[in-house]
Amino acid sequence: METSQKMQGEVGSLPERIRQLVDSEHYGVLCTQGDGQPYGSLIAFAFSDDLKKAVFATPTTTRKYRLLSQSPNVALVVDSRTRSPEEMHQIEAITVTGQAVELESGQEFDKWAKLLVDQHRQLKPFVEADTTALFRIDVVRYFHVTRFQEVRQWIPNLPM
Amino acid sequence: MDSKSPYVVGISQAVHLGDASVGGKATNLSKLQQAGFKVPDGVCLTVSAYERFLKDNHLTEIISSELGRKSLDSMRWEELWDAALRIRSAFAKGVLPEGLSTEIGQAIEDLGVDQELVVRSSAPGEDGAGRSFAGLHESYVGVKGLEEVCEKIRQVWASLWSDAALLYRRELKLDPFRSSMAVVIQKLIRRNRSGVAFGQDPRDPSRDRALIEAVSGLCSNLVDGVVDPQRWSLGRSTGKILSSPDAGIPMLLEESDLRAILAILLSLEDLIGSAADMEWTGRKERLVLLQARPITGISTESEDERTWYLTLSPSSPRMKQLCKEVVDVLIPELKREGERLAAEELDQLDTLELLRSIEERARVHRQWEEVYKEKFIPFAHGVRQFGRYYNDVLKPDNPYEFVELLETERMLAWNRNEALASLAERLRGNSRLFEGVSEILSRSLKSNLVFDQLLKIPGGAEFLDEFEAFAEEYGDLAYKKTYLKDRSDLFLKNILALAKSSESSIGDFNQQRRKRDRADELERELLNSVGADGRQEALDFLRIARLSWRLRDDDNILMGRVEGQLLRAVELGREKLRQIQAVDEQEELCRRLADVLETLENKVSTLRSPVLSSEDLEVAAGESARQLVGQPAAPGLGKGSARCIQSLEDLGDFEAGEILVCDSIQPTMTHLVPLAAGVVERRGGMLIHGAIIARELGIPCVNGIQDAVKVLKNGDLLTVDGYLGIVTVGEALLDLETAD
Repeated sequence: METSQKMQGEVGSLPERIRQLVDSEHYGVLCTQGDGQPYGSLIAFAFSDDLKKAVFATPTTTRKYRLLSQSPNVALVVDSRTRSPEEMHQIEAITVTGQAVELESGQEFDKWAKLLVDQHRQLKPFVEADTTALFRIDVVRYFHVTRFQEVRQWIPNLPM
Repeated sequence: MDSKSPYVVGISQAVHLGDASVGGKATNLSKLQQAGFKVPDGVCLTVSAYERFLKDNHLTEIISSELGRKSLDSMRWEELWDAALRIRSAFAKGVLPEGLSTEIGQAIEDLGVDQELVVRSSAPGEDGAGRSFAGLHESYVGVKGLEEVCEKIRQVWASLWSDAALLYRRELKLDPFRSSMAVVIQKLIRRNRSGVAFGQDPRDPSRDRALIEAVSGLCSNLVDGVVDPQRWSLGRSTGKILSSPDAGIPMLLEESDLRAILAILLSLEDLIGSAADMEWTGRKERLVLLQARPITGISTESEDERTWYLTLSPSSPRMKQLCKEVVDVLIPELKREGERLAAEELDQLDTLELLRSIEERARVHRQWEEVYKEKFIPFAHGVRQFGRYYNDVLKPDNPYEFVELLETERMLAWNRNEALASLAERLRGNSRLFEGVSEILSRSLKSNLVFDQLLKIPGGAEFLDEFEAFAEEYGDLAYKKTYLKDRSDLFLKNILALAKSSESSIGDFNQQRRKRDRADELERELLNSVGADGRQEALDFLRIARLSWRLRDDDNILMGRVEGQLLRAVELGREKLRQIQAVDEQEELCRRLADVLETLENKVSTLRSPVLSSEDLEVAAGESARQLVGQPAAPGLGKGSARCIQSLEDLGDFEAGEILVCDSIQPTMTHLVPLAAGVVERRGGMLIHGAIIARELGIPCVNGIQDAVKVLKNGDLLTVDGYLGIVTVGEALLDLETAD
């Protein structure tokens, strides 16, 4: 009957907590926009060690690809709701904002493709397909939500 | 009663279900009955009934919301009390699972229509080795009829989430979310003798003796501490009486009774495998066992804490006695003490006299700190007890409605705010004086120079007279290590800020009258609901609550005065010490003074100075707060610049329209609240000082914000949502994302 007073993942600095969340949750909702209309898509992602970048892939035939080519401003929502579906206050979520940059084939492409595939082995054929585009998100800010509505923000690239 | 019911079982069957299903008390009673001891007939509501009740009424979600707002470790007792009150209120409105009330009705009928009953808690794991929940979970005696029984069952269930039970679980590191509750319903046995007995003296288990205590009437009178028992000790092996109550009073038990009880204790010991404590009622062959369990060590530390938590809900007679003592004796005495110390002309004293005065003030202060803990805090619970009583009777939608019955009394802080408003009015009505004061203050002069300048302005002398009377009456307080009377320029700054603002009066007469009318209306409603039988009890509760409500502010201000007087003497002592040290450091008196000041150093530095943060906060580069969640302590929405009170200067610099951010509203800063657009406090609770003042003045307040003063900075734009308990930092911009 020992208690665990701290909530799941409620340990460490804010960047560490964000790291724990994106390490345990591998899917999130990517938010794009076009003609004043927001649009959401579930994607698989991977984050760089310093949390300054993230990577995802999308077929070029999709609506989200078209929207990304119109506006690179994106948001990505990742949350832990499947861990504690009955316990609202236990859910942790982040909203990541930033710009999505499409990567052309070459060294950069290979580096980010590897990061994504290391995280999601099953996506290897998908990432390598000719009709798949690879995007890197350059993170501007994290909004981190716990206990229903406690919000902190973190800017990983703080201007010096 | 359906023998296969998952919810209700007879006491005799309870033992087969086990502790996890029926709880410790029911298991023990069942074992006793099986072993041939007489116990009152009854039934047990299993843990399944409780769980079904939670599920049907979505109470788990309510409990999680109440206790999930922040980590349990960081919740102060006031916040836990608030959470417990709201949880109890939700339980009271809960509907019993379908079929359960029918089963209970049947069980009651089987026990005998018109039979008086006892409804008792029986939590699994409740009385394990080394811990005892005795008294923390509720039990009710003399309950009659299905409706009342069901109400008491809900209250017993809710007592699993009482503030005292939560505090105790936190201390024992038990997860409250894994706790559960069964309920025992038994016949109430009325005999003319009852008591408790211990197979071994719990105060000294190494001695070969048993203890027996007896009272007239019900055993609950003894357990609740309503009456003092008669006490005997007996040799365990010899059966010899080793001590008896004082001769000269009629003995409640005869020697044969004592021997019979000892024999039961020893056979209980055989049954449970260790020395037992038991509650019993009746004599000779009519003796019935109410409860028996292994003795838990009562001298352990956690037991001491449990005892302290229990003092926070004194029984009615004890509360009445406490009320009389606090109101009639202690508060007037504390007031006199403050005045006496203030009247002493410290600067006329020689070194030895000053030294003695410092020592005396430290002693007086210590003594009142004790009184504060032992008397004032438990008495402040008069308000909370009334709140529970009121909610039990009327089940209002707003569990804090009861506060409206209490807000009829003027508080000292209210008078002070009116005096400040009157001074501000003087400034507002005299533009030369207003400009003069603004100019003088902008030059940051010392108090005495400020006053000299003021005298030169027309109307200045009259203003100053009123101001000095104000400072004399209300400046007798200390903030951190400074005595406010020595920095009355700070008050002057506040008056100027008040004069600049649109706030004209804080003590609106009509508002007072409306409040009184509302209080009268609620009082009538309460008295109608309890009927003639409950009238006196309701009036007693209300009278004590009103006094307790008024004093919860006054005692702080009066304590602040005594503290201020200690600081005044310590300051003078330091000055004196510096003077003597310059001449002769080795002098005996000099050394003594230095010693005394050194011993007091720790005390003085913590005196009333806000604890800014309880723990180290880890903040990464680039990290900042965006939205903080606390308790919605006063409704409203306010927006303004943050002013974090961390120094004396912050008090003076406070401007109208700012958000007052502090550890907790102290008597030294209540007068700033009328100027504020909102209040944010670290200390949480609906009934704490700051929350009450904010509600009185209609200013939004969010409290219980962990590390408020540390996370927020002066000048931060804050939005205080007193409806939801949310403080938002900055504007909701995406400027970083959209910048080129």
